[in-house]
Formats: sequence, C-alpha cells, structure tokens
Amino acid sequence: MRAPLSWLREYVTVDATVAEIADRLFTSSVQVDAVIDVGVPDVDGNVGRFLVGRVLEIEAHPNADRLRVCQVDVGEGHARQIVCGAWNFEEGATVAVALPGAFLPIFDQPLDERELRGQASRGMILAEDEVGLGEDHAGIMVLPEGPEPGTPLVDLLPIRDQVLDVTPTVNRVDLLSMVGLARDVAALLGGDFHPPDPADPEVVDGEAVDITVENFEGCPRYIGRVFRDVSIGPSPQWLRSRLFLAEMRAISNVVDVTNYAMHVWGSPLHAFDRAKLAGGRIVVRRARSGEELRTLDGTLRRLDPDDLLITDGEKAVALAAIMGGEDSEVTEETTDVLLEAANFEPLGILRTSERLALRTAGSNRWEKGVDPCVAENAAVLASRVLVDLAGARMTGHVDVNDGLPERPVVPFRPERAAKVIGVDISPDEQRTTLSGFGFDVSDDWHVTVPTWRARDVTREVDLIEEVARPVLDRLPYTMPLRRHVQGRLDKEQRLRRVVEDTLVGAGLSEAYTWSLVADDPDPRAIRLRNPMSSEQAILRTTILPGLIEAARIGVDAGAEQVALFEIARVYLPSGDRLPDEHWRVAAIVMGGYGEIKGVAETLYSALGLELRVERGSHRVLHPGKAATAEAGCLGELYPSLLEGVWGVFELDLETLFAGVPERIVYEDVITYPAVLQDIAVAVDEDVEVGALVDAAQEAAGTLLREARVFDVYRGGQVGAGRKSVAIHLAFQSPERTLTEEEATTARERIVAALAERFSAELRA
Amino acid sequence: MEPQALENAALAAAGAATSVEEIENVRVEFLGRKSELKLALREVRDRETGMALNALRERLEDAIDAREAELERAELDRRLTDERVDVTMPGTPIRRGHLHLITQIRREVEDIFLGLGYTVIDGREVETTRYNFDALNFPPGHPTRSPLQTLFLDDETVLRTETSPSQIRTMESQEPPVYIVTLGRVYRRDTPDATHTPTFHQVECLAVDEGITLGDLEGTLDYLLKALFGEERRSKFVTHHFPFTEPSVEALVSCHICDGPGCPVCRHSGWIEVGGSGMVDPNLFEFVGYDPERYTGFAFGWGLERIAVLRHGIPDLRELWRNDPRLLGQF
Ligand SMILES: [Zn+2]
Repeated sequence: MRAPLSWLREYVTVDATVAEIADRLFTSSVQVDAVIDVGVPDVDGNVGRFLVGRVLEIEAHPNADRLRVCQVDVGEGHARQIVCGAWNFEEGATVAVALPGAFLPIFDQPLDERELRGQASRGMILAEDEVGLGEDHAGIMVLPEGPEPGTPLVDLLPIRDQVLDVTPTVNRVDLLSMVGLARDVAALLGGDFHPPDPADPEVVDGEAVDITVENFEGCPRYIGRVFRDVSIGPSPQWLRSRLFLAEMRAISNVVDVTNYAMHVWGSPLHAFDRAKLAGGRIVVRRARSGEELRTLDGTLRRLDPDDLLITDGEKAVALAAIMGGEDSEVTEETTDVLLEAANFEPLGILRTSERLALRTAGSNRWEKGVDPCVAENAAVLASRVLVDLAGARMTGHVDVNDGLPERPVVPFRPERAAKVIGVDISPDEQRTTLSGFGFDVSDDWHVTVPTWRARDVTREVDLIEEVARPVLDRLPYTMPLRRHVQGRLDKEQRLRRVVEDTLVGAGLSEAYTWSLVADDPDPRAIRLRNPMSSEQAILRTTILPGLIEAARIGVDAGAEQVALFEIARVYLPSGDRLPDEHWRVAAIVMGGYGEIKGVAETLYSALGLELRVERGSHRVLHPGKAATAEAGCLGELYPSLLEGVWGVFELDLETLFAGVPERIVYEDVITYPAVLQDIAVAVDEDVEVGALVDAAQEAAGTLLREARVFDVYRGGQVGAGRKSVAIHLAFQSPERTLTEEEATTARERIVAALAERFSAELRA
Repeated sequence: MEPQALENAALAAAGAATSVEEIENVRVEFLGRKSELKLALREVRDRETGMALNALRERLEDAIDAREAELERAELDRRLTDERVDVTMPGTPIRRGHLHLITQIRREVEDIFLGLGYTVIDGREVETTRYNFDALNFPPGHPTRSPLQTLFLDDETVLRTETSPSQIRTMESQEPPVYIVTLGRVYRRDTPDATHTPTFHQVECLAVDEGITLGDLEGTLDYLLKALFGEERRSKFVTHHFPFTEPSVEALVSCHICDGPGCPVCRHSGWIEVGGSGMVDPNLFEFVGYDPERYTGFAFGWGLERIAVLRHGIPDLRELWRNDPRLLGQF
C-alpha cells in the first residue's frame, strides 16, 4: 500500500525525517518496499516557484485560435501574462501557477519566459499531470476559492512528497490503513497520534434503511446509510491528488470518497445507486447455485453456494467484499446513494476470490480479517466528506450486527518477556510500548487488546512480540548455552559424503534432477493430485531417466566428456499413507560396460566393499551388458536411449551401506612379502571370469590374497568357442614368508579346481 | 716401464677423453687387467717399488674418476639442455568431477552447524498435512494450505512445503535439549522463472532448551551470515510473521556488493533479505508435549538457492537443474 508522507503527517506529529520513519517502520512494523520521491524536484527553492494564482482577465490570442492570453495575479502586486491552452476555467478562477525558472517533472529544462505566437508568457498555469498529481491533461487544475494569490501551492497540494510503499504481513491488516501506520509511527518515534475525528453529519428528513443480514457468520456487521440529492461530479484536486499518490484512480466524488475512507481506516466501503436497488433494500446472503452476477469489470460471474452476496432481495447487486455489480453502480445520473460500511469474515472471502481469481483492494483487506469496529469510523469519515463534497443529505442510518467481539484480556509478565527476548527491558518501557500500540495495560498487568489486533494477539507470547518489535535492533548477539549437544554426522550422512567425494574424485560431476517426472516405469508410482504440469506429475521410483536426460543436455552442449552422478531420493509406494523414501546414487558415464564398472568398483572400494555382480536385465540396459548387484543394477545403456556408448548404474544407498565395515582393522601386508604367480587357462566362452576367480579363491583358501583377471585372449591356438583367461595370483601370509613350494602347491590346487569345474586347461 | 712416462701418458689421455665412453677406454688401457701398470704390479718383488707403483695406481684412478665425473656432469648438462620444453604447454588432462553448487553450500552450512554442536537430520519429503500444516500452527485458510500453492497426493498428504515438519518429528522423538538442522528438497506450486523453481532446497534450524532467547537467534544467525558471506558483513533483524514462530523476524545481511549505499543486488537498500526465523510458537511445543513455560526455542528456514544467487550471482535458478556441464564445471 502507498502512504504519502504529507497525508500520514496529518495523523501523526513527529519530529523525524522520512528516512527515520521508513527505517523504524521497517524494523518494527511493516516491510517498506520503497520510499518514492514524487512531484516537482526539491532543488534550489524550486518548490517555492509554484504558487496559487487568480485569473484576472482572459483574452483571445490574436494569432492562435486554441490559445488564450490570461492576466494572472500571483501576489506580486501586478498581474503576470500567461498564455494558456486550456479552456476549463473563466475569469476569477483560482489556479496553480509555475513561475519561470521552475523545474517541472515533465520537462528536462526549467520553464523560461517566452513568446507564444507573438504573445509573452511569463509562467504556466498547471494541469495535474504537470506536477505529478494525476494523469488528467484535459484541462488545468481549478482550485477551490479561498487561498490568496501568492500562497505557496505546496500548502494546498502535495506537489512535493515522499510516498512509502509498504507491504504488511498478513496478521497486520491494520497497517493497510493510514491511521494504522500513523499509530505505529507515533508509538515507535515518540510522536503524537491524532486520527481523523470528523463530526458525523446529522440525519435529516430521517427514513428507515432496510438492511437484512441472513448470514452473520459471513457478514458480522452491516452499516447502511442513505444519501439523497447527491450531485455526482469530479472530486476536488486535493482528493484526486491523494488518491493518485496512493495509487488509486479518481473516478467520481462518491466512489472516490469510499476509496479515501478505506485508505484512511482500512475498512473497505461500497456505494450503491439506491434507485437500482429494488425497494432500496439490502439482503446479505449466500449465493444460490447457478446464480450469476455481472461485476463492475463487465465479467459475468458464475456463483457458488459458498459465495457471499449483497442482494436487494430480488437480485444480486454485489459480490460481497470483492466487487460491486455493474447494474447497481453509481453513475453520473445517480442522485440517491446507499453507502455500505460492513464487515466480512475472511476465510469465505479468500475462497471466493481465489476461485474467481479476482483480487481487489477490498478483498485484499477482508481476507486478512478487518476489525468490525472500524467500519463505523470509515462510515463516519465517508459520510462527512460525501455531505461536504457532493452536497448530499444523509437521510438514514442503520447498524445491523450480531454483537461486536469482545476485546481479549491477556495476563502478561514483563519479566518473562525480557527473559524470552534476551535483553533487559524495564516494565515501564514495556508498558509504554504496549500503550503506544493501543493496548490497555492494567496496574496488575492484565492487557486488553485493541479491537484491530484482536484476531492476532490472544496470548502472552503475542504480547511479547509487541514488546520485542521496537527493540529488534537493540538485542545483544548471544549463542545458546548448548550443555548437551552432538555435533556430528550419522553414519549414513558420512557415507553419503564418501560416495559424493569418491565419484567426484573419479571425475563425475553431480547433477540435480527433478523428483517429479512425466512418467515412471513403475505403474504404481505415486501421482500428484494437483500437478503443475504433466511434465512434473509423478514421484519417481528411479533416478536414471532424469540422469540420462541430463547427459543428453551435456552432449547437446558439445561436451567431449560427460560423466554425471546424482544422490537423491526415490519414492516407493509402501501401501501406507506415506511412501518409502529411499536414497539412491545413480551415475552415467561416456564409455562402455568396463568404464562404468570401474567407477562402481572404485566406489565400492572407497566404502570398504567388494562389488559382486551377476548377469541381469533392466529396461534401460543393453541386454548383453546388464548386471545386478545386491544394491542395484549396472551396465551399458540401451543403445536407442542416448546416442553413443554409455555406462550407467543405480544403487540403493541403504543396501550399499549395510555392508560397510564399522572400521578397517590393520592387517600386516608388509612384513612377509607376497609370492606372485600368474596363470592362464582356456575355458569355454560362456564361462564367466567371476566364477573362475571365485573358484580359485575357494580352492586356495586364505593364502590367496588376491586373484585378478588381467587379460582375456581369443583366437590362435585357443580354439573356437574358447577363451584364454590370464589371472594374476598373489599368495601371502601375515605370519610368515611363504615358500615358493607352498605357493606352487596352492597354485596347483587352483588349476586342478578350475580344470574340474570348468574344463579349464592350463596354458601358462 | 718408465713410471713417470706412464703417468704423463695416462694423465694426457684422461685429459683428452671427451666422453664417458672414452674415459672408460682410458681406464681399461691404463688400469685394466692387461694394462702395463697391472702387469708391472704383478711382477713387483721389492716393497719400495710396490709402494711406488700402488701410489701411481691410486693417482691414476683418482685422476680418471675425476675426469669421468666431469664428463658425466657435462653430459647431463647437455641432456638437460636438450630436454628443455615449453613450460606453457597444457598438462595431461585429468577428468575432474564437481559437486553441485547446492551440495557445496549444503555441506558448508552443515559444517558450520556441526561446529556449533548441532545434529543434521534428513527428514522426509512426503508429509502428512498434520505434520506439514497442523503441527506447525498454520491456521485454517492459510494460503499455503491451498492446492494453488501446495502439491497434494491426497487430502491429507503433501510434498513438504518447508523442511519444518522434521522439527516436529524430532521433538516428538526426544526430550529437550534439541539442536538440529535439516537440509533438503521442498516443493511449492511456483511457476518456474528466474527466481523460482517448484522444487528448491531449504536449511531449517531448531534449537530448544531452557533459557533460549531471541538474542540467541540473532547471535546464531549473525554467526551464520558472517560464515557464509564474510566476516565484514553486518546483520539486521526486522519484524515478520510466520505461523510457527512468535515473535517472528526476518534476517537481513548488509549488501556484499555495495556495502551500504545501494545497488541493484540489494534493490538499492543496502540490505539483502536472507530468510525467516523466530522463536518457536508455544503451540508447537504443546503439539509435541514440551512444557512451553520451561523451554523456549528458536527456528529459522532459509533457501539454499538464495545463498547461491547472492553469493555466486546465479542469474536464473532454473539453470541449477539443467546440469549443463559448462555450468557444473564452474563450481
Ligand atoms: Zn548493494
């Protein structure tokens, strides 16, 4: 909301600059998005070059049909000649004048004395857009009679101002009002708060106002007032300017007055053309299904039985709290007005405005819960201005309500507040703070909450916040005591970091891909009820598809090497309300089976594990190059999924980590050196080398420290359908040096076992 | 054999040798098994001649060794000169992997809090409305409860909209004191743009103990801000409103770009908002069965992406999810 300083200062007298006001408000009350300088530049006494003038004489311009030559008194003792192109004023009009030398926001150069078609012009009669007070350029500003020629214009109109642009939090709807802001400014900066308190107009020729509220839950209060002999017209310049600076459009005096009173008190109002209401009646009720209303913006709204309506007993005339109806709108022909100053319950308004995607200055306030008491302040202010400006008579008033809410009374302990806040604030200071914000504090610290805070402040802790707000920038920075803490990662968290670091060390980069996907191989995968798009509709049960897409991005970006991994959760249907969330690691690297298996082996080794795989199958894997490990799958990517040759794996971290040894215990691998022997055996092509190594291990027992396949050879003397597998053997004992004989015996056992189980023939 | 002539000849030959190979030939010629000197030594009968010849042998050995060392050094010098390379040539490429920027920030924050004695909690991402809203004191009708803002699996199940439900689960599972941080993915129905992605990452912190104050919150956040943005940064706290904290404050850090006068990064205010925080609302303590008279606590929740944007100048958050190797490789 926009709060012009000149307007704010009407309600608070405070010795503080705009910067100080903005800073205190920002710390203690409301987010200040900007402080905007508006109007004419404030340099070199520029503001003083704008004066009130009286038009003494008007003559036709001898050389230009569309211009007139005016003699204007600006209090100098003699008239100034000013050539003017506007026609909306006559001799005797009070106008706004800029003297030569004045900087106007619309021009780059100061105004100069010049000749216009041969006639000297020593100044300018101003339109509102020329001094930043509006958008109208159809005519100049005609001011009300009264002020003497030569009066500084700034005394009448905010031609130079600062505007605070503020966004209150949802609990502070009271700050969506000039009065609310003025109150906090006064409390925070030691100012004097004086909200507007106009005399309520007398009811003349009294008549009954027929208001029926069928639904007090939705509409706890409805003040209806009738005005007759209303003369609709433009608002005076001061009102137009205020609305303009507050970012509202001036429409007509009646509508402008409702907006003005809303801005002052924060309680939105609405004006109906009473003649359009059947019998001048108002009935507040819920909509009937199928009911329709054409709102002010010209849209035909289909209503829902939850929507609250203002009707005249026959037809809907307004969508309560959100927007008026087109048919009952105040127009130039309107003479009788029914002014609504009501109160509406927030939740229903929020639902309706969300469903219709229709948010207005009114609904923005109602949905946060406006104080029903301020409806009356707003009604009185609007009535006063309406009678003064539109020459209207107020002929009726009614206040329909179901009883106004009680003000909460909250017991409060100032010493508790100081303890929670963490700074020594004296009870006296706390009392002053609370009183400044409108709380009544009894001698024994029972705090009565003001009506405009009654929804938000109901507990002692809420009052503690009120006491804390002004001192947020005064607190000593301390650290909690922490007598019992455990500052360490758990095993799984530590191992996740090991996985990350190992894969990064192996040259893979970490990718982040979405948990929500367009489709998932598991038909039971969980589908969102209200996805944002079909692209992100399902909670994934596997990471690999996302990683394959990420690799594609890398290829498309022209990367020569793409090697990615991701650690993230998958969401497996569990049968219960909440799915099983499992951490997985997946990887994709350019290169074939050997490449990805090397990465996997490095990862396992870093965890103190041995990777053991079996032939397997998986939908994203090459059928001949797919392996299964206890923790997941590994293999070469199915060729059509991504151009090139790629290796991938996806492993479940919980399964993986289950086998990680708590600690690695020292083994003597140095004192007694290993005896190294290599063998090469020929076996049938379909014998897996893993089986050979397992058999070797089994046959040799603990003396065989390592058996590693280092070459596979086909062709030559090996024979068709056969391959020669070379295995590196290392025999070692931690207790003694093995003799060549012992090693040879073990080697022979291995050869015999391989011959027996795989018909392996020894070649070397 | 004339010893003096032999010595002169040998020294001359050694001096004339120009390579290690040649000096080796000189050694064979004058000191080898068939050399004149060796033969003479074998013939020696008297002690005096023997001593003289041995002395000669030693002199020749020393001279030849010295010459050999000299020649070796010269040869090494020559080789080293020949082996000169262009030192500005690039090295052998070694594939380097990179942790994702968000992971780097996550670890940094984790380590800061581990150092302060906090425990890291993983939490879960799919949550019941009870833990995601009710327990966190979201009032009925709060906009976050709306299906316009939150992703629902069914009426009572959502993707967590903040990491806070793990606070509740942790408090339910243990007695105070509680000092935890939770980091991870959260989900909101935000239309993706430069500053929003529907999935993003939060760090959530909770401290519950006897005597915890709003000053403790400010002190902890000031420490965190300085650790993340530099020791010279200043912090500031302004009033705010959140369902789960009372009082609530927003933390701001002095702009690391302009340090005060204002610039586009801080939207000309000199201060940058980093995230929400506050004292744990007593309603949360009642939900988990803690005594709100005895215990107080603070909590805060910040976006890790926000830290990435502020500290590393990421212009568009969607880039963090595209995994372009050129971007991943920068960090
Ligand atoms: Zn800055």
